[in-house]
Amino acid sequence: MTEAVQLSLGSGWLAAVDAARSVIAGPSWAGWILWLPLISLVLCGVCAALKIHTKLPAWITVGSLAISFVVIVALYMSYRQPMEIPLLDWFNLNWRSNDGQAGSFVAGFAFYVDKLTLLWMLFVTGLGTLIALYASEYMEPDVKRGYARFFAGISVFLFAMSCLVLADNLVMLYLGWEGVGFASYWLIGYYYTRPSAVAAAKKAFIVNRIGDLGLALGIWLIYYNFGTVEYANAQGTGLFQILASGSYKHEAGGWSIQAIPFLLMLGAFGKSAQIPLYVWLPDAMEGPTPVSALIHAATMVTAGVYLLARMLPVMELHPAALPTVAWIGGLTALLAATIGMAQYDIKRIWAYSTVSQLGFMFVGVGVLTTYGAAFHVFTHAFFKAVLFLTGGAVMHGFAGQLDIRKISGLRHMPGWQITAWTMLVGCLCLAGFPLSSGFFSKDEILAQVFAVHRPWLGFMLLFTALLTAYYTFRVWFRVCAGPVSYEMGEEHHGHGDDHHHGKADTGHKAPPRHAPPAHVAHQPHPPRFAINFVLVVITVGAIISTFSGSWVMDKVSHSSAAVLHAADSHEHHPGWVPWLAGTIAVAGIVVAWHFHLASRKSADALRARLLANPLTRWLPTAMENKWYVDEFYEWMIVTPLWIFAHALYLFDRYVIDLLFVDGVARLPKWMGRSFQPLQNGVLQSYAVLMAGGVGLAILLVVVLMPHLRPWLIGFFGGGG
Amino acid sequence: MDPTLAYFAIVLGAVALYLVLRPGSRAIKAAGAILGLGAFAWLLVEAGRLLGADGRPESFFLIFSVIAVASAVRLITHPKPVYSALYFIMVVLSSAALFLLLQAEFMAFALVIVYAGAILITYMFVLMLAQQAPGAGRPDAQPEYDIVPREPGAAAFVGFIMLTLLSYMVFTGAPMLPVSDPQKAQALIWDKLELMRGELQAMVERVAPGSRLVDKPDVRMMDDVAAVQAIRANQTEPSWIVLPADAIPNNVQLVGVDLVWKFPVSLELAGVILLMAMFGAVVLARKQIELGEDEVREAAGMRRLALHADEPSEHQASAGPGRPRPGDES
Amino acid sequence: MNWAADSCAFFAAVQPLGQLALSHYLITSAALFAIGLIGFLSRRNMIIMFLCTELMFQAAAIAMIAFSRFHLDVSGQVFVIFILTVAAAEAALALGLVVLLYRRRETLNADVWSELRETPTP
Repeated sequence: MTEAVQLSLGSGWLAAVDAARSVIAGPSWAGWILWLPLISLVLCGVCAALKIHTKLPAWITVGSLAISFVVIVALYMSYRQPMEIPLLDWFNLNWRSNDGQAGSFVAGFAFYVDKLTLLWMLFVTGLGTLIALYASEYMEPDVKRGYARFFAGISVFLFAMSCLVLADNLVMLYLGWEGVGFASYWLIGYYYTRPSAVAAAKKAFIVNRIGDLGLALGIWLIYYNFGTVEYANAQGTGLFQILASGSYKHEAGGWSIQAIPFLLMLGAFGKSAQIPLYVWLPDAMEGPTPVSALIHAATMVTAGVYLLARMLPVMELHPAALPTVAWIGGLTALLAATIGMAQYDIKRIWAYSTVSQLGFMFVGVGVLTTYGAAFHVFTHAFFKAVLFLTGGAVMHGFAGQLDIRKISGLRHMPGWQITAWTMLVGCLCLAGFPLSSGFFSKDEILAQVFAVHRPWLGFMLLFTALLTAYYTFRVWFRVCAGPVSYEMGEEHHGHGDDHHHGKADTGHKAPPRHAPPAHVAHQPHPPRFAINFVLVVITVGAIISTFSGSWVMDKVSHSSAAVLHAADSHEHHPGWVPWLAGTIAVAGIVVAWHFHLASRKSADALRARLLANPLTRWLPTAMENKWYVDEFYEWMIVTPLWIFAHALYLFDRYVIDLLFVDGVARLPKWMGRSFQPLQNGVLQSYAVLMAGGVGLAILLVVVLMPHLRPWLIGFFGGGG
Repeated sequence: MDPTLAYFAIVLGAVALYLVLRPGSRAIKAAGAILGLGAFAWLLVEAGRLLGADGRPESFFLIFSVIAVASAVRLITHPKPVYSALYFIMVVLSSAALFLLLQAEFMAFALVIVYAGAILITYMFVLMLAQQAPGAGRPDAQPEYDIVPREPGAAAFVGFIMLTLLSYMVFTGAPMLPVSDPQKAQALIWDKLELMRGELQAMVERVAPGSRLVDKPDVRMMDDVAAVQAIRANQTEPSWIVLPADAIPNNVQLVGVDLVWKFPVSLELAGVILLMAMFGAVVLARKQIELGEDEVREAAGMRRLALHADEPSEHQASAGPGRPRPGDES
Repeated sequence: MNWAADSCAFFAAVQPLGQLALSHYLITSAALFAIGLIGFLSRRNMIIMFLCTELMFQAAAIAMIAFSRFHLDVSGQVFVIFILTVAAAEAALALGLVVLLYRRRETLNADVWSELRETPTP
């Protein structure tokens, strides 16, 4: 496999060189892609400050994002070749060191636009606009509370994500990278009165810090080794241009060059929720569902894939880097799929499927089919958005009910048809049903895996695909098919009513002061126009994305992520892979149909039988408990850290504070107190001390000094 | 050159002093006194031995120094302050005798006059003024604070340390001091005559009547005699005139010349100090008058505080409107 | 007159003090000083305490006169004049203060004037 990677190096770079060498200046109006979300952010803040309790923030956000999307489309239309669009001067440092070496650090606030950028920006802003529209209805109950805050968060996210994708250099990318992390924190912790949401937000933020540290170090090492953080520039001193020309000293850098891919990988794994840093993503479902759909399924989590695709030439600096990416992606896919199989919460299942699909994308990058990875990102963005949004619709309508055991027969309920059928489309895509979008994109990756002769990885992924099809349709058959029955959730709305959450039983009886009438009755209320419209549009997008393969191919192959080597062409893909994959998908769906529609009792029976057998008892337990990874991390990392922190706290408290800080203060106090009896007010005792002091002084000067003199002179160097 | 025995004598003296100081029986005090005097004598002998001589001090010196030390001990041990003052006169007198032995006649008499005559009389007055009011208990009973010293042990220890250090300095320092040349010293004393023009002129006229001193007289020692240049009665050129031996300035003259020629500023300062002491004594001796705030305000020409004007406090009521003005009282 | 001339002659035979005699005087002076110090430290009567300071002045004066004799320099005697001055001034002021203090407390015990002590804290 190393040979395959080695083989790919030269040609891949050539493409990168071609892509990078001809950089032209782009139109400056493209800057509105960034400014519009910023303006929206400010306006949302103004709305919050003015206490505007209407849907105005939503319309501002949707409007600005839509314009932003239009700008992207315009940019796409006008695209001829890679462009550089300087917006602001940011870092422009030039210096000359003492030994006459000139140095510089240039990182402008500028766009680098190639086709990969456009591909990403199209679905980011497009889906962003649609999901903001969806959220305008979904977040309705919060109009009087955090509505403006929510849309401000969406605006921040769009701004940061655009920064990340459009960045002309790694520093700006890092700005966006941290910005999306911050937006993610903001929106996961949207229901900040709910402890679990706060904990999830913190977890996401902290776990991401680990990855971000890797990215930061990677960027620093890149600057250290190559002297630039720009992708490409007109002078030809950009990162890709240096890599392509081969004018850097590979051996001079040594480990500091070879470590770069792994550090970048760490950053990508953190942001895209891969082993070992995936644990934050399932918990991030504490945020409102549109956030889950937009940030934690469609766009932000693909930033890792984007990073690796963008940095593909850099990733090839170490031969073991990409295989590592592939294997970690594969393992993540399998692990997340097994966990997803055993969950009962719709959003959690989708979360684990997201982790799993991200694993597929990383496999794609790892086996050098950036086209496959990007294609899968693209299709996945749509169908996963659909799935989340339908899940959100269910949650919205059934008062927070997300347990697949408690809702059934959705498609027979009035007003839920659109939800049910769009969810079916999403499920088909996710399951990789033949001729669906997911089928094609996943097949692209699978075929490539076999093409580069990694059968073990390939079969593992095929097995994962089977599990994927199973758990996907487990949800659909449970929730949408079957006899009509439902239980309302505990909450008024799909997203944790923070004010009544702690006293759920009284919460139902007390008339909710903010809820529309439809919510008062304990009846499911089907989604209305905005949600349905968005669902339909995105579903159409998902279907259309089926046929976008060649379009994505065109995008990817004309960017720095382009990989041009022999194994990449379709001719080398084993012909049996699509057939097998399709069969497996169908098989998974059939199994799901059997257990979750035809005879639902058999699923419980199977589980009971597994639990009864001492040899297999661990399997369902471990899967339902997410393989105890959280507990393992808790035991392995959090507890030692806590103990360490506590030890430091105790050290600080008792050694630093008590011994040093207070001790230094107490020493004179104690000395003063011990000498206090001397100050007894009796004149003669003072006189005794004074006479004694004079005696001591005489003793020192007259008697001891002659003996001390040589020693003192020796000590102070004979100065005296 | 081993001063250990001298230090031992000092320790002995300290112990003796402690025995005398601490309240106890008369016999112990007497024993302590004898022990202390013995220790002092021993210390002197040791000093002599250490400095290489035969160790016997001059007899007059021995007598007076022993009297001085014994009186000093008695001073600090006598329970009656009047007796202490009298013993202090003894100390002063014996030091005056020592001064005489040191050929400092002026200072000896000044000491007796100023100390024994003036200062000690002041002490006596104060002791009379501050006598304990008789009545309670026996009228001649001494107050407790005069009988019981406080911490004599610590005091004796500190004093012992001080004495040890001073003796150490004497033992180690005295042999290193340069010994003066008598010839040179005499010449220096003769030279002082140059500062006393009138005296010198009179001296010259006594020896050779009608002679006149030169403008800048230069007294010189020549073979144990002093001579000065002067113009004899019927000559124009100055010639040396040998001064009589008793023309050498005496102690009073020397001190006076030194005081005026060498330390004029210090002399003025001493006068100022005495003046200030007089002022201070006058101020301290005035009867103290406690002024209330209102009186102060009135004296400063301000009106009384309104609060007190309407409802006079008890303090003011007792003062009453007819109270004399503070200025009148002093 | 004859006696005066004789005495003048006697004094005119200027013989500086030997080291031995000097050390004797100095030891006497030191002893007087130490005794004065001990008295100052141990006696509780304020007047006696001042007497003891006078005693210490005496000791200093003896040392100065002895040195003056040893060095054949009258400056030492002049210093004793200043010592006398200071002693006189001190006696005037200190005794005035003693009288003042006595008027306040009707006692000469120095121990009663101990308001400036630090109250012991546990």
